[in-house]
Amino acid sequence: MTMFSKRSIAKLMTLGLLTPVLAACGGAPAAAPIKETVVVVQTTAPEIQTVVVEATTDPNADPGAGVAGEAFSTPHPILSDPKVRQAMAYCTNRPELISSVYPWLSEEEQLALVMDTNLPQGHWAAATEGITTYPFDVTKGAALLDEAGWTLPEGASVRENADGEPLSLSFTTTNAQFRQTWSAVFIQQMSACGIQIIPTYAPGSWWFGSSTGLARRDFELGAYAWVGETDPKGNTLYACNQIPLPSNNWEGQNYMGWCNQTASTAIVAANNTLDTEERVKQYGIFQQEFTKDMVSLPLFNRSEAAAATNRLSNFKPDPTEYQTGNVEEWEVSDGDTVVIGLTQEPASMWTVIESSAVQRVAGYLTGNNGGQGWAFTSYSYDYQPKALTELPTLENGGAVNNEVEVTAGDMVWTTAGEAAELAPGVEIVNAAGETVTYESGTVTMKQLAVTFTYKDDIKWEDGEPLKAADFELAQKIDCDPESGSVSLSVCESRQDVEFTSDSAYTITYLPGVQWPEYMIYALGAYPSHQVLADGRTLADVPASEWESVLEITEDPLSIGPYVLESWEKGQSMTFVANPNYYGGEPKVKKIVIKFIADTQQAVAQLLTGEVDVLGTETLGAGAEVETVLKAAEAGEVQGFTIASPTWEHVDMNLFVK
Amino acid sequence: MTTFLIRRLFQMILVTIVAAMLSYGLLYVQPGGPIDVLLAERQNSGANRIRESDIQRVMQRFELDLAMPVRFSRWLVGWPKGPIFGSVGADWVVGCATPGQVRLRYPDGRVEIVEEGCEKTVTLADLEGRKVSRGVVFGDFGDSQVMLRGRPVTDLIWSRLPYTLYLMGGSIVLAILLGVPLGVYSAVKQYSRFDYIATTIAFIGTSVPSFVFGIFFILLFSVLPQRAGLPYLPPGDAVGVRDYTIPLIGMVEAGSFLDRFLRVLMPCGVLTIINLAGWSRFVRGSMLEVLQQDYVRTARAKGVREQVVILKHALRNSLIPFVTLLAGVLATIFGGALITEAVFNWPGIGRLFIDALGRNDYNVAMAILFVNVILLLLGILITDILYTIVDPRIRIS
Repeated sequence: MTMFSKRSIAKLMTLGLLTPVLAACGGAPAAAPIKETVVVVQTTAPEIQTVVVEATTDPNADPGAGVAGEAFSTPHPILSDPKVRQAMAYCTNRPELISSVYPWLSEEEQLALVMDTNLPQGHWAAATEGITTYPFDVTKGAALLDEAGWTLPEGASVRENADGEPLSLSFTTTNAQFRQTWSAVFIQQMSACGIQIIPTYAPGSWWFGSSTGLARRDFELGAYAWVGETDPKGNTLYACNQIPLPSNNWEGQNYMGWCNQTASTAIVAANNTLDTEERVKQYGIFQQEFTKDMVSLPLFNRSEAAAATNRLSNFKPDPTEYQTGNVEEWEVSDGDTVVIGLTQEPASMWTVIESSAVQRVAGYLTGNNGGQGWAFTSYSYDYQPKALTELPTLENGGAVNNEVEVTAGDMVWTTAGEAAELAPGVEIVNAAGETVTYESGTVTMKQLAVTFTYKDDIKWEDGEPLKAADFELAQKIDCDPESGSVSLSVCESRQDVEFTSDSAYTITYLPGVQWPEYMIYALGAYPSHQVLADGRTLADVPASEWESVLEITEDPLSIGPYVLESWEKGQSMTFVANPNYYGGEPKVKKIVIKFIADTQQAVAQLLTGEVDVLGTETLGAGAEVETVLKAAEAGEVQGFTIASPTWEHVDMNLFVK
Repeated sequence: MTTFLIRRLFQMILVTIVAAMLSYGLLYVQPGGPIDVLLAERQNSGANRIRESDIQRVMQRFELDLAMPVRFSRWLVGWPKGPIFGSVGADWVVGCATPGQVRLRYPDGRVEIVEEGCEKTVTLADLEGRKVSRGVVFGDFGDSQVMLRGRPVTDLIWSRLPYTLYLMGGSIVLAILLGVPLGVYSAVKQYSRFDYIATTIAFIGTSVPSFVFGIFFILLFSVLPQRAGLPYLPPGDAVGVRDYTIPLIGMVEAGSFLDRFLRVLMPCGVLTIINLAGWSRFVRGSMLEVLQQDYVRTARAKGVREQVVILKHALRNSLIPFVTLLAGVLATIFGGALITEAVFNWPGIGRLFIDALGRNDYNVAMAILFVNVILLLLGILITDILYTIVDPRIRIS
């Protein structure tokens, strides 16, 4: 055999042919960049910014042209024109999209899902006046496109501009069946207006990956969902300084690259004031701009379903509260047990280390360590007091927002969202709401103090009354990084907690702290008197051990309507009514939570009567919903459909890479 | 034989370690994970803001701040726990808590920030005081990271194992008891009506996925008869949580033997059908081959009764290849049936494994994978030994 076989010669020749081709493609090697080391910053950029209003710019003008040479500084040839974006909104028939994915809903129910702004219908901050709405109107859409220079040549189906370029856009979303279904309808609707849409259905891991897809603004039109909350927030999504760029390490979630000064200022202002009226006003201004610019087309809230046996009354599913939020009001007409089906098993009953929906559903039964669901509830995008006598607000005097003078050396809350000693160079927000860099002397800042008062006669399941030491223990443990808490921002923002009685305390925050949801940031409560199996008192257990203390994780002492009686791992949890519940012993004597991973199995169990309640966490919005709603129509079970806080939208990238 | 066993044992250890390394690596390489879950919460601004220190804490809990080989070694043998011999290598870098960031300023003015190098390293000294298992090799699978946070993985596995054992054990025994005679009969009566029917059913059994079977069963034996007022089977679970009444059978007490028996019927049925289909085909094929052998013809020519020909001369020989099929049974019995357990809400190891993967509980998923690998290798070893027993022609050396 010779040294060079025919095959290896052929390989060499191919290589020889390919090399020049590859070199031509690659072009001249790029000049090496200059490297600079960066101080690692906090993961999320600070939220607090100046509220000084700049002169309002024309929102239709080229939105915030970036730094010269910066990536994403070239306006998108099609989408940077507001007329095209508005036309697309007019061409979108949202009720038709909704009926493609939720055919089982009545027309009225479908209309209730339509989103006109970034907030769902009925949200306390949703604007109804002054916003631009886009009812389905192909003629209007077509007229706007004509105006923008995209005309439909005779006989063609895709519009073109004067240069003969087609009105064609790529559209990226996940490969979830749900999205593919409504996208197909959306593409047809666009096509009726002469807009060609080329869809890409990518895996969620790519589209939502930390360094791919959306996070790198790798799209023209991109569809995904946001989850609405009681507090609308939104500044990380829409403010000018939240546009992810290579130069800021892709921080921020304003993927459209939208910078409308008026809107940006309004949403930041709305998030920086504690005055509800002012917030509604600022959110209103934001929504006017948001709908006018049409950079992100709101489509619809997803629909979720819940179901309950006919024997159960007072079951109240809600978009922003868990199903067991009013469990003590439930009643059964036959028997004394209610079986709830959940898809997952909670890892722990301890709220600090387990934040899943299933933990909350179970945790509400035993008082959720004195947190949400026990101290207060959050029905219908709002908050209601439960064990608290009332929610402390500035309006009712439960909270005060004083002005204090601070000097160098005082602990303050900085614009970076951290507690720090005031020193030259530290950036803070002063009492007037302006961001200032401290140099010397005194500065006036806002200081928030909130007083939480609980109802009298609250007892633990063993009859021991709730006392100040229980709140103190919660403050100590929940704020210890050793405990496994994920976020300690609220803890670190507290300056002092003063206990005025066993059922009232005042939290004073550091100067500069202005949490919009201050009225619910109450302390939790743990039974400080509880003696563990190993003889120690709960108050003496170090924080690092809490996640494995069975009396905390598997059998917590209840302060809620039910007491955890037994927990069969992987199968079920059994709760019995708590006779020492401050609200009186609940009427349903026994609640069993069963873990059913598969939704179809859960539905089968509902229909055969093995399970009585399937909440939105379990039933979701899949194909099984139809089966349940049909059974509800036939009168076999009670079916509920609610607008989920999750809403679908199409973002329009205003820039090209 | 002894040298064979020693050699095989040595090979097994090697294969186990390589398999563990690969599965461990793959598990961590896959996209997603606790940090992504944490970052997904980033749209929550203000008080729920995730900070660098929060990320560091979570990384430390999952040991994601350690280099993969160090992490693997701690998982496998519980070492290193800190500086070697108390002081050596205290400043050796074994991981990175915060990746460094570099700003690239291109000549054309573009600026980009990329992760490069390490801002804050983790040294051997930092490992001191961190929770670590004694090592999987020494039987300590460590603590569950998510599902039973901070408590031993073995607790989780023990709570699921009995259910998987009796479901899988039952269905495998049933499948063998039914599959072998079915295969033999099909082979003996080749191309008979029975054979055609059995073949058709077997094809359906092997081609229809288990979840379709599962849903079909639930509809057919549970939901529909229950609605029609006929006797029905409970749709899922291993044990009921409250008493229920079935027409003709009467009141079934939750947790009673009857309750458990009724609940195991459907999942066991599905698994039996699936195994049965494959195995009966296998037996049929190998039986057909044997029936055409000269010695079978000779036996028949000698005038041996047909029954004896089939059962003694043919069957025994046809089962030799079948033994190889059983190599995987050991692992299957432990590992459970991933899909079937999920469809019937059976609280077994298979469902636990899926849950562990879905919730990024690496220690639980790895424990199950590791035990499975060992059982599979053991199964293969046992098969090899069995081979020499059922077929004296084979010598192992």
